[in-house]
Order: sequence, then C-alpha cells, then structure tokens
Amino acid sequence: MNDKTKRFVKSKFQDYYRTAEIHLPPDFTSREWGFILFDEMPEFVMRRHKAFGSSGELHDYLSGMVPAHAYYSVAYYEYPNAPNMKEKNWLSADLIFDLDADHLPGAPKSYADMLEHVKQESLKLYGFLNNDFGFAEEDIHIVFSGGRGYHFHISTPAVRSLGSAERREIVDYVGSTGLEVNRFFGKKGVSGDAGRESAEVFVLPSEDEGGWGGRINRYMVSYLSGIAKQEDSIKILTGFKGIGKKKAEQLIEIFRDERQISLLKNGKMEALSNIPKPFLEALANQAVSEMSASVDEPVTSDVKRLIRLPGSLHGGSGMRVTALSISELETFDPLNDAVVFSDKSVQLKVIKPFSVQMKGNDFVVEPGEGTIEVPEYAAMYLLCRGAAEYGSN
Amino acid sequence: MDDRDLALFPFISEASDHVGSLGFSLDRLISSRALDLARIRGKERVIQSISGEIEKTSFSGSEEGPVLSELLSYPFARILVSCIDDPFLTRRYSLAEAVAAYTLLKTRDVEFLSNFGNDFGVDARPSDSYFDINFTDYIKLASSMKDLKWKLVNRKLDHGNVRIAKEEFARLLQEVVRARIHDSLPIDVPEEICDLCAPYLDGIKEILDKRKTEYGAGDFEAVERELFPPCIAHAIANTMAGVNLAHSMRFAMTSFLLTVGMTVDDIINMFNVSPDFDVEKTRYQIEHISGSSGTTYKPPACATMKTYGNCYGEDELCKRIRHPLRYYSMKLWIKKRDEGKVKVQDKVVDPEQK
Ligand code: SF4
Repeated sequence: MNDKTKRFVKSKFQDYYRTAEIHLPPDFTSREWGFILFDEMPEFVMRRHKAFGSSGELHDYLSGMVPAHAYYSVAYYEYPNAPNMKEKNWLSADLIFDLDADHLPGAPKSYADMLEHVKQESLKLYGFLNNDFGFAEEDIHIVFSGGRGYHFHISTPAVRSLGSAERREIVDYVGSTGLEVNRFFGKKGVSGDAGRESAEVFVLPSEDEGGWGGRINRYMVSYLSGIAKQEDSIKILTGFKGIGKKKAEQLIEIFRDERQISLLKNGKMEALSNIPKPFLEALANQAVSEMSASVDEPVTSDVKRLIRLPGSLHGGSGMRVTALSISELETFDPLNDAVVFSDKSVQLKVIKPFSVQMKGNDFVVEPGEGTIEVPEYAAMYLLCRGAAEYGSN
Repeated sequence: MDDRDLALFPFISEASDHVGSLGFSLDRLISSRALDLARIRGKERVIQSISGEIEKTSFSGSEEGPVLSELLSYPFARILVSCIDDPFLTRRYSLAEAVAAYTLLKTRDVEFLSNFGNDFGVDARPSDSYFDINFTDYIKLASSMKDLKWKLVNRKLDHGNVRIAKEEFARLLQEVVRARIHDSLPIDVPEEICDLCAPYLDGIKEILDKRKTEYGAGDFEAVERELFPPCIAHAIANTMAGVNLAHSMRFAMTSFLLTVGMTVDDIINMFNVSPDFDVEKTRYQIEHISGSSGTTYKPPACATMKTYGNCYGEDELCKRIRHPLRYYSMKLWIKKRDEGKVKVQDKVVDPEQK
C-alpha cells in the first residue's frame, strides 16, 4: 500500500466512521483498547493500553485517528489503561470462540467457499452453545470478523470467571477432543446365557440424553434410516468393512421398521446385537467427526486477548466487522452484507492477479492492464488486500 | 449441621464460625489441660496424614467431650502444620484431610452433599441419586482431574447442566476441600506459640523426615541442573527469559525434566520467576506431556532433536551419546566418580556406543 493509496483508504474509512454504528461491548470502560493506524503500516504497530470513559471518546478516536484495525480486550480490568498486565489487574473475561478458515482442515480455496465453510462450522458451534451449554440466543453474540471467519462472544456472569484450563474444556467439548466413543457406546454384560460371548448387549444413550451420547444416537439412527430408504442401500452398506450382503439386509430391515427405530432411539440396541461392533463404532466415529466444531483453541483459552470491535472496519479487507443474530448468520453473505462502500467508480492500478465476487458481480483483475475502473466497494477490497494501488499512475 | 458433623467436617465455614463462637483463645488451645485430648488428636491427625489416612471416629456415645476434642483438634493440627511449614507436609496433610472427608461424604445422602457443596460455592441440585450441576461449576471442579471420564466432553451435558452421580460429586468435593485447606496453609503462627508446641512438633518432624526419604520427596534436590545437556539448558534459559519455545522443543524439554525426576510442581516452580509467567498455561502444557493417563512420554533422541533444529550447543560429550538423557546420566556418573563415590574404571564407557 503506497502513501497515496493509504490516504485514499483512510479518507474512506473516515467517512465511514463519522456515521458508523459501533457496537460497544458490555462494561466497555473496563476494557483495554488497541489500534493499528494506517500511518504506521505496513509495520504492525499496535497502539494498546488505551481506555475510553465514554462512547463519545471512542467515536472521536475512531473518526479522528481513523485506525486500520480496532480491537478491545476480552478481559475486564480494574485499570485497563495501565501500561502492563500486572498493573491492569485482570478481573474477568468474556468467553470467546474464533472460527477461522485458516484453521479448518481441508478448507476450500475460493474466498466465498471458504466463508461458507466457516459458516457451517459456526452453525455447529451455535448448536452446542445453545443446546448443550444452554446459552440463550440473546447471550450468544456472533460477529463476522471482516476477514475469514466468525467470532462468538459470551459475556454472561457465570462464564466470565472461568480460567484458561476451564475454557479449554469447552473447546474440547465442541471439538470432541478427548471424547471416548466407547464410554457412550459400549457393551453391557447380561447374565444367564451360559457364558456365550454374545451375552453382551450394545448400549447407547437414548436420543434425548444430553451430551455427545444423545448426539451420536441421533446421528446414527438418522444416517442409517436415511440409507435404508435409498434404492442402492445394499451397495452403500456393503461398502463398509465387515458388512456383507446378509448383514446389510438385516440393517435395512431394522431401519425400515418404525417400531425398531423408536426402540433404538430410546437406546435399546438389541436389534443391532448381530451387527459387527467395528461397524457401529465406525459409524459413531463418523458421527463425532461430522458434528465436531473446530474452533481455534488458543483464542478461547487466552483470557487477555484483544478482539475486533464489531462495527469497525477490517483494514485487510475493508469489510465491516458485523454483529449478527443467529437467523442473520444463516443467510449472511459477507461479500454482500459486510460491504459498506458505494458504487461510485474508482480508478486503480492492479499489482496482483485477483478475483472476487462482490455484490453479485465478478471482478477478475490482472496486473499490466493499465488503469482500471471498478466500483468503490470493490476498489476498497482490492486496495486493502494489497492487490491494487489507488489512482491512474 | 449438628455439632458432630461440624467436628467431622471442621473445615467448612460453619465449623470455623462455631469454633470462633466457643471463644477459645489461642493460649487456651495450646496450654489448657482440659484440651489435652484435642491436642493429642491434633498431632495424631498430622501423623496419620503423613503415614496414610486420617481416621475419623463415629461418636458412638452421647458425651460432648469427644466431639469437642475432635473439633478443636483440627485448628491445632493446622497450627502444627504451619509451624513446620514444609511444602511436602502441607500437601500431604491437605490431601489426607480431603480424602478422609471424601470417605465420609460418600456415605451421606444427596441433600447433605448438596449443602456441603454450597459452602464451596457449588450449586448442585440433587435428584434421586445424582446431581445436576451447572457446567461452569463442573469444569471448575473437574478440570484438574486426570482421568478422561471427568472431561466435559465425556459427560452428559444438557442445557448447561452436567449430570453426575453422588459418588462422583463426593470425589469432586474432595478436590475443593483439598484446595481450601492447602490454600489456607500455612497460617500465621507467632514463634512463641510454635515454641510452646515443640513437644508435639518433634515427633511429627521425625516421622516426616523418615517418610520423605522413603518417598524420595527430596529428589528434586538430587536433580542437577548444571549437568543437563546444552539443548535442554538452552531451552530452560529461554523459557525463563519468556521466549516462546517451538512445540517440539517444549515437548523435548518437559519430557526430559519429567524423566529425570522432576514433578510438575517442580518444573512450574523452576519457571515461575518472571511476573508474566502463566502458571496455568504451563501447568496445562506440562500435564499434557506428563500424560493424563499416567504414561509419560519419552524425550526424543539426539537425531530427532537435530531434525527439528532443537539440538543447540553440541559439545564434546554430545559426540559420544545419542540421547540427551544419556548425556545427563554420563555427567552424573562423571561427577560421582570425581567425588570419589564411584570406583574409577579405565574410562567412561557408553554401552550404547560399543
Ligand atoms: S547432541 Fe543431543 S544432547 Fe547434545 S545438544 Fe544435541 S540434542 Fe542435546
């Protein structure tokens, strides 16, 4: 980003901040604030240890200094502007989750696909927070990061005092780390059958049992009854190790029988006692890996981290860090809904090949095309991403 | 709780309030003839904690005397532990008190356990033979437990409530009891008082010393840091300076330290020198390496260290060994030889290199 580009981007950010609606975090006066200013870029100098006593002060700072990136601490401090952590005196911290495309295994390549992929993870996480952990919808604050992912903020009193190790337990829960499938899904000895080995029945928690047990039950029952309905069900099932034609037929019969299904849902697994255990285990493991939400562990366990301010702009994309409700998340399209700049045409020089789809338009640019003209919103994106410089020369 | 329960669980707030309301001065507790039995029992508590379990009576008769002795023996035991002020004893004593409490708690009903939990700020709602407890309370209680069965991910968690069996709850309460007692020790005891307690202290110290040698509690003293190989010494210096280690190096260092006989606490204490030191994070990392199931990971050999760029400052001795542990054991051997503790053979022979 050259100086001219910087000045242009900064002036556009300034226009935005003059009227922007900023979502102040609870107890914002107890937070430490940190900013990265355009003038110092590309150096990543964080101006931190700031505190604001009123929302007016913060607004003045944003529209006066026009930071490229704006953050506040997840922590609440007694003296948020003290120059070091010890003197700040940590009091408590919001519970934060970070879902980022960079951390997801096998994430797809295009930006839009990537964002969609993270959104799916976010929806899974929401399910855990809402159902398993019992957080009310209005207590789960979802934020599009302006970059490649989503942040979840929870500030209820009970979670604020949790320490790092305890927060890690929550991450492990949603990510199924340390989960032992056999604990939920095991054998129980039944007496009487003259010492035969099959005198063990499979047990599974019922579908309405809390925790991973119930989740595994629901997944397995719905997965297998889904297969049983398909025409090529035999083929699919015999694709599993240990399942021959006969076992496959048995499975289909069971999962086409509503009465059997409701027994299974209640955790009564007798019907499956002939089915090889490795198959059931494989399915349970599949259930676990499909349902796990992978969040970035160090972010959650760091009780002093700085996090992006909702309503601010992300200096690396020009997009708005956007607060969302769960229903908004479901339909949220960052490349449309987090875009704040206008359609006015802007002249640029491309320095890196780039393609992006914004507001329904495809922008594919190559260096060496001379000066090009694109709408301001796309220009801001390309400039912030470092794919172009401002102006015609 | 009635007086008997207060005597059996003397560390709960109600019991200390009760003791306060009885108005015994410290002097009386130390010297009153009438409290002889309480003091003898106090000493017994400490000794039992060193050698095994603290045994609790069941107050069969209707007399009040034994109940009072039992109750007052607890503050007296705390005075004794504080006068000795030995970390090993404090740990053992807190643990033994907590285990004794657990043994009793298991036999009590859910209501009792629930009330007991309240004293520790734990809100466990009983129903039949299990409890529902908010997950935040649960993880505060259970995140220090090693066995995987305590991990939240392996529990029934429904709308914020974790379901736990009565016996499990008693076990978790053991942990909070231990922490409460441990964190409250040592108490500030004036020196004159400790002098007056000398007759009680001598016997305890003797048993403590004996136990420590048997246990090898003094082992850390025997870990000789200046004999560590250069790679490990370098990593320790970096950690102390607040430099973040690569994961592979942190693993190598920690598993090395654990293998040569340091405990998790020893390691944390060694690093706990800078104000920014994150005890909790380090503990987590170390405990992770020390293995929650008790299996300790072996530190990597020199070849692996080299592959990851963790071999730093190779010296003459390094050329003769293939494993950092071997470096240490050879240095130890050389040191003992030089001190004349080992018979000098022709030369140092590394069996791995023959
Ligand atoms: S040779 Fe082995 S012991 Fe010596 S510094 Fe390298 S890794 Fe450490």
